[in-house]
Order: sequence, then C-alpha cells, then structure tokens
Amino acid sequence: MLLVLSEEHREHLSMLPQVDPSVVGEFGRIALEFLRRGTSPKIYEGAARKLGVSVEAVQQGVEGLMFLLMESSKHTISEVDFVDSVLVLGFGEELNQVLLQLYRDNQAQIRRILSQLIPSQPSFHQLEWRLDVQVASRSLRQRLVPTVTMRLMLSESEEGKHSTWVLQTDPSTLLHLISTLEAALAAVKTSHSRRILRNIK
Amino acid sequence: MELSESVQRGLQSLGDQAVLDRGSFPVVVDACFRSLLSSRGDPAVLDLPELKHVDKILLKQIHAAATTFILEAVKHNADKSTISSSLEELTFNTERVEIFYSTFQKHKKDLELLLSSIGRGPAHIKDVSWRLQYQMKNGQLDKVNEPFYLISLSTENGGASEDVDFSCTAEQLQDLVGKLKDAAKSVEKASQM
Repeated sequence: MLLVLSEEHREHLSMLPQVDPSVVGEFGRIALEFLRRGTSPKIYEGAARKLGVSVEAVQQGVEGLMFLLMESSKHTISEVDFVDSVLVLGFGEELNQVLLQLYRDNQAQIRRILSQLIPSQPSFHQLEWRLDVQVASRSLRQRLVPTVTMRLMLSESEEGKHSTWVLQTDPSTLLHLISTLEAALAAVKTSHSRRILRNIK
Repeated sequence: MELSESVQRGLQSLGDQAVLDRGSFPVVVDACFRSLLSSRGDPAVLDLPELKHVDKILLKQIHAAATTFILEAVKHNADKSTISSSLEELTFNTERVEIFYSTFQKHKKDLELLLSSIGRGPAHIKDVSWRLQYQMKNGQLDKVNEPFYLISLSTENGGASEDVDFSCTAEQLQDLVGKLKDAAKSVEKASQM
C-alpha cells in the first residue's frame, strides 16, 4: 500500500533535503519525543538558530516527519512501499535511507503509543488470593466456613492507573470458575477460531 | 447460657402452667419461631384464637423473652443439655422442654442461615461469563489482528449485585486460571489436614 502525501505535507517536508542527513536523524528523535511527551518551543528555537532557518520551517519539518512515520506505522506498510511513497518527494538516496531507518527502528514503538489512544476497557493486571476460614461472627459464635478472598487489579486505559476489587468466593464456586475459564481458553484453539485467525490478516 | 432478668421472667411465664395451658404452649412456641423466620414482621403473629384468654402484655413479654432465648441458643450453637438445663432451671416441665427442643431442632438450620447473612464482607462472586473476540482494526491502528477475551464476574454483596468486567489476552487468562488453580489446590490440601 502506498501513502499519498498531500500538497501541504510535501511542502513541509521540502526543507529536509536542505539540511544534513544527520540533522534529519535528530529531527526524527525530536518527532518521537513529540509523540511520547509533547514538545516545547525552545527545542525548535535551538534547532532553528543552529541551522539558520526559521522556527516555523523547523516545526513544519518535524511535524511533517512525525506525521509521515505515524501514517506508515498505522498501516504497517512494507519497507518497499515506504521507499516508493517517499520517492515522490524527490529526496536523495541517502535521505531516503535515513527515513527508512527511522521507520524501521521506531515502527513498533509508534504503534504502541498509538494504541494508548484507543478507547479501551479495563484489562487484567494481577490477581492475588488467600484462603480464609471464618471462625465466628457477631451473630454466630461457632462457624467453620472456608472462603477464598481475592484481590483483582485491573489497569485502566492510562498507564499506571489501577482499579482494585476485593472479592470472595467459596470453594465450589471457585471450581466452577476454573472449569468455565478453562473452556474459554480452549475456545481459541478450536478449528473454527484457527481458521478465522489464519485467514483474516 | 447467660440470660437477663427480663428474659428469665418471660421464660418462666412461658413454662408456667397457670399462664399457658397444655394446648396454648406449643402455639406460642410456634408463633415465636415463625416471627423469627418470616421475612416481614407480622404484628398479628400473636393474635391467635387459642391465646385469646391470655393477658396481652404478658404474651408480649413471653414472646420477646422466647425469641431472645432462641437467638442466643443459635448464636452459641447450644447443645441439648445446655438448652434443657436452662429451661429446667426456669421451671419448665419435661414435656415442655421436649416440645421446645424439637421445634428448635427443626428450625435451627434456617435460623443459622439467617444469622450468617448479617454482617459485612467483600462482594461474593457468583458466576463468570466470557466472550472471545478478534480485533481487526481500530481508529488509530490498522491490522491489529489480535484475539482477546471479555470476562464478566457477577458478584453479590448483601442483596446488591454488581458486575466486574474486564478484557484480557489469552496469556493473561492463562495466568488468571493458573492462580485460581493454585487457590483450589491449597483449599484441597487444607481440607485434608
């Protein structure tokens, strides 16, 4: 699949061949920091001063580069397709190779960052358990009730936010849970699921 | 069992043949157990034709004392000798002790269930349901192509039920099932000790 770059995008990227390929690598690093943590005008100003171009040109170059990498990662286009898409811009061979290297090195990371933007449900993080026996309560003084108490930790969509649930169950429900979830695990290995997983790629 | 003065006095009236004759005694005992076990308080539980001749206030005192005694006996898991000796001390004759104890035996399990439901604790898991889904693409990424599970635990806490929903990959589910199996194994080991 080939990327189609808009006029505006091409314009923004047109300042890249005017600088050293090593600088393009530097821009790539700034673009990734942008994705990870946002950016500050000071970085742009510093680069603009060193290269003798306007701050706006630097900003457009970095953002254009970032958008290019993001779109390529989103569609996981092959390296051949990437090079073909970039050829349109009329850059030199060396610059194309630098861009390709940037793409190769950072594709997985960019996909990981993008996946954090998707609406997601709480996902399983950790389960801790312990076996308790209730011996007495305020209303009944002689009891013998085995219980399994569990702490289920789920992570919400942002990194590091965990919701915790303290839950209890009795031994027979525990066995029922185990057999139901084992059936769930077996479902992904049936021929039906295998066929679908194989054919939708 | 330790009983307060008012409870002792009420029980003495219950055992007193001058207050309640042979016919009325089992009726009162039944009414007391019934009022403990029914889900709604019935203000007319003592308005029975067999008890018309008994003084209303005395009847209420007997009812209060008897229900307190019953609950204390269930709470402490009192055995036959404890109950019998307590009642005999309060001038119950053998027949009345027998009637009381056999009714007590009949309803003991239900009363225990009732008392065990009082109190707080973590939510109790009742059931689990699951769904296997395959994610193909989303708004930010094409070609995701990953299977994942949606698990829903239905829990209950004091009558209110709540669902805990979460998603997990096959490896995470494997991890979860492994931990649950460890818990089950330790329950088995403990039961064999």
